Amino acid sequence: MFMLLINSIISGILAGGLCGAVGAMCNRLRLTTIAFSIAHAALAGSALALTLGADMISLAILFALISATILGPLADQLRIPLDLVSMILFSMYNALTFIFILSAPGQVLMTESVGQLLWGSVLAIRPTYIAYLLLTFVIILAFLTLFWGKINSLLFDIKLAEAEGVNVRIYKYVILIIAGAAITLALRMTGGFLVFSLLYIPAAASLQLQANMKWIIAASWLLGSTSASMGLLMSFLYDLPAGSCITIAALIILAGASVYSRLRVSLAVEGRPR
Amino acid sequence: MEEGPNRYAVELESVSTYYYGEKRPAIQNINLKIDVGSLALIIGPNGAGKTTLLETVLGLLRPREGRIKVLGYRIPKEVLKARALCAYLPQDFMKPPMEPFTAREVVAMGLASNSFMGMLSDDDWRKVDRSLELLGMLEYANKPFGKLSGGQQQKILLARALVREPKLLLLDEPFSAIDQKTRSYIVSEVFPDLLRKGCTILLVSHDSESLLINPSVIIRMRDGFVEQVIIRNVHVAH
Ligand SMILES: Nc1ncnc2c1ncn2[C@@H]1O[C@H](COP(=O)(O)OP(=O)(O)O)[C@@H](O)[C@H]1O
Ligand SMILES: [Mg+2]
Repeated sequence: MFMLLINSIISGILAGGLCGAVGAMCNRLRLTTIAFSIAHAALAGSALALTLGADMISLAILFALISATILGPLADQLRIPLDLVSMILFSMYNALTFIFILSAPGQVLMTESVGQLLWGSVLAIRPTYIAYLLLTFVIILAFLTLFWGKINSLLFDIKLAEAEGVNVRIYKYVILIIAGAAITLALRMTGGFLVFSLLYIPAAASLQLQANMKWIIAASWLLGSTSASMGLLMSFLYDLPAGSCITIAALIILAGASVYSRLRVSLAVEGRPR
Repeated sequence: MEEGPNRYAVELESVSTYYYGEKRPAIQNINLKIDVGSLALIIGPNGAGKTTLLETVLGLLRPREGRIKVLGYRIPKEVLKARALCAYLPQDFMKPPMEPFTAREVVAMGLASNSFMGMLSDDDWRKVDRSLELLGMLEYANKPFGKLSGGQQQKILLARALVREPKLLLLDEPFSAIDQKTRSYIVSEVFPDLLRKGCTILLVSHDSESLLINPSVIIRMRDGFVEQVIIRNVHVAH
């Protein structure tokens, strides 16, 4: 029991941070809806695993990564915004999820597995899961630090970066795939419906801090970590669904950040010589 | 004039560009050769195709017909190599106040685009500050880009273009928000210095702001066509 608590706090710190960082970048690139298609691809993958009796994580990751990979090229091919492609895939995956769940053998709807899928659960946290998280953490951190100059340029203005010879398409695809990995992993704890809380709320809170892009991503990372670990602790203490607790923790942090930013502004105004 | 494959900075041969879904080309059957080290002024009314021409040269728009070479590189095949030697200042570029990027960071991006993995050395940062200083923007270096005025944002973007030490500089109505004093400083000091270093400048303008300029070639556009090319005998000091 104690080990599970420690493991889930570690996972919370890792997964929450990843989602926070990815959320801040996607927000800047106006890709906020990609989470919908990727999260629900993972959901559809998990549902298919229920039907087939296969491993849920593997199929979820497979579906999510396929989505993340085809999103960019699909938008380029169809010549419609990524956001829209994302919502189209989202609808498709929901349709598939329902079909898979209903055609699963036995009384699946009542089982713990479906609950885990929808609301998330700390029971999903196993050593292999933490290993996946750690690997993703290292990859994302390395990508951000090694290529920061180009990523910053891309986040400022894609067209200008492209005009200067940055291979924006590759960077965009990599960011999508990274986002896909972070979302799929977080999904195991938060569930398919509440993974959005970790993507949007820390990103919104970090924008309150009025820093430059690097600090916004770092702050979002930190706030995501804090939300997820606090939420998981709450979930343990009060035996409530993990996803709901994480969302509530994130909302409390957003409120705190907003109060802080207002205080800072009013203090700065008062502190000015008259 | 030097001979060989790189005598021209820009070569266009029967180039036509269509916007997606449009039946009419935005530029049509363009044939141009621009000498290395020249200042080409592109003029014409709104909608003449000036912006489209620049973006086609940079490979941002793909022509449906024709052949393009920029600094000896074929577009779009070798576009990344060509772009590494170019700098571009887009028309009407403005960002809202809350942009989380400082002026200095925006200029630094001009170098990051060219450097391996986007990393900058101390020397690069000194270049960034020198470029800011050249345009009198050093005191705004740490201000958020979006909180600068339109003209100041244009100067920062020009600083970003210059810090790249480009071989081909493409400027799309760069003076629209810049005051008269800065404008004449750029035209009389900055441009000649660039030309002396062998840079080629394509300058788009739709009005008399170009009166101060002494271009070596004037390209007049209308309805997507090149209407007239005037080659002038300008002596650039070497
Ligand atoms: N994104 C676009 N989609 C469709 N048509 C466009 C687009 N941008 C420009 N055009 C058309 O292409 C023509 C040339 O435009 P442009 O190159 O911007 O002119 P200029 O820069 O000389 O004012 C115009 O007729 C304009 O309406
Ligand atoms: Mg124009």
